[in-house]
Amino acid sequence: MKEANSRLSALVDGLTDWGIEYFVYVPSSHSAPVIRKLDALGVPNVMANREEEAVGIAGGLTLTGKKVAMILQDNGFGNALTALATFAQSYHTGFPIFANTRGGLGEYNSMIHSISESAPDLLKKLNIRVEELGISDSPEVWRSSSNAVAKLAVIQRRPIVMMFESLHPGMETIK
Amino acid sequence: MKRLEALTVLNDVFGSDPLVITCGASAREMASIARKKTHLPLLDSMGLTTSIGLGIALGHSGRVGVIDGDGSLLMGFSILATLKAYAPKNLIVVVLDNGQHASADQMLSQASVVDIAGAAKGLGLWVAECENASDMKKHIEARSHADSVSMIFVKIEHGNTANIPFYLADPAKLSSDFVESFSS
Repeated sequence: MKEANSRLSALVDGLTDWGIEYFVYVPSSHSAPVIRKLDALGVPNVMANREEEAVGIAGGLTLTGKKVAMILQDNGFGNALTALATFAQSYHTGFPIFANTRGGLGEYNSMIHSISESAPDLLKKLNIRVEELGISDSPEVWRSSSNAVAKLAVIQRRPIVMMFESLHPGMETIK
Repeated sequence: MKRLEALTVLNDVFGSDPLVITCGASAREMASIARKKTHLPLLDSMGLTTSIGLGIALGHSGRVGVIDGDGSLLMGFSILATLKAYAPKNLIVVVLDNGQHASADQMLSQASVVDIAGAAKGLGLWVAECENASDMKKHIEARSHADSVSMIFVKIEHGNTANIPFYLADPAKLSSDFVESFSS
């Protein structure tokens, strides 16, 4: 089991500062520390089998007034695009989406960049706002930015994506 | 039973409870029967109806209804496993099964050759199957205080009701009305 590093912990802190009440996720090794930490804090959650399923569940929860976040890996946005555009955007369901990035420095997978590198542009083409957090940003920035994205999504009644850079837990030990 | 007859009964039996309605002819025909703030008709998002209903049921303490179609359910079939895993007892999913994509030129759906209710049963979900309005109503009323999620598969006739106009509502308005219904 991978533990959250200081930045991933700060992301979780930003969400608990916000008062997160539920999260919906699709499993990912990079996001696992965030998912496990939120779960350990007792935040109710749903594991979805596909990204569009997660959009539906998170959007439904949002309509009941819950503070909901969605967590996934950026290569899953291809599955989620129609659901994001025709439901989450069109029905004004405001929830933050936290997606770990793949395909960058430290990547071990030879092909995942083929979707991950284009994910931000695909989302922006749908008028979905995309923010980014990198490993050069301080934990304090991670905490305040994740909190701000969550608040803004609710205020603007639309999904907003926070892409966060996170090396594979196995790669972080390579010198 | 025609879809319009089934929808008329479903509108009545779910009363003022939240009700998510799948896209295409189902949403249009329901709008021709009743337009309520507690109704959340989907204007697209095929395959997402039951997922949205699950989210609403997890966030709401009262009974929640979903009207899905066989084609739409097949498009997001993985939701059945998620339903079983989380099994909110306040959620009743009614699948109107005509064995076709009635809104897509009435092409046959795979429900015409596979047993989708049997698949749901195989996942361990509580399932009822019926072919008439009175049995459908009876099952919904009986499962309104159930101990797990309910799935009711209802066989309906092929085709759509004639002369039902396109449903041109603003989804943002449908959504804000639906949200407002929780506080009223």
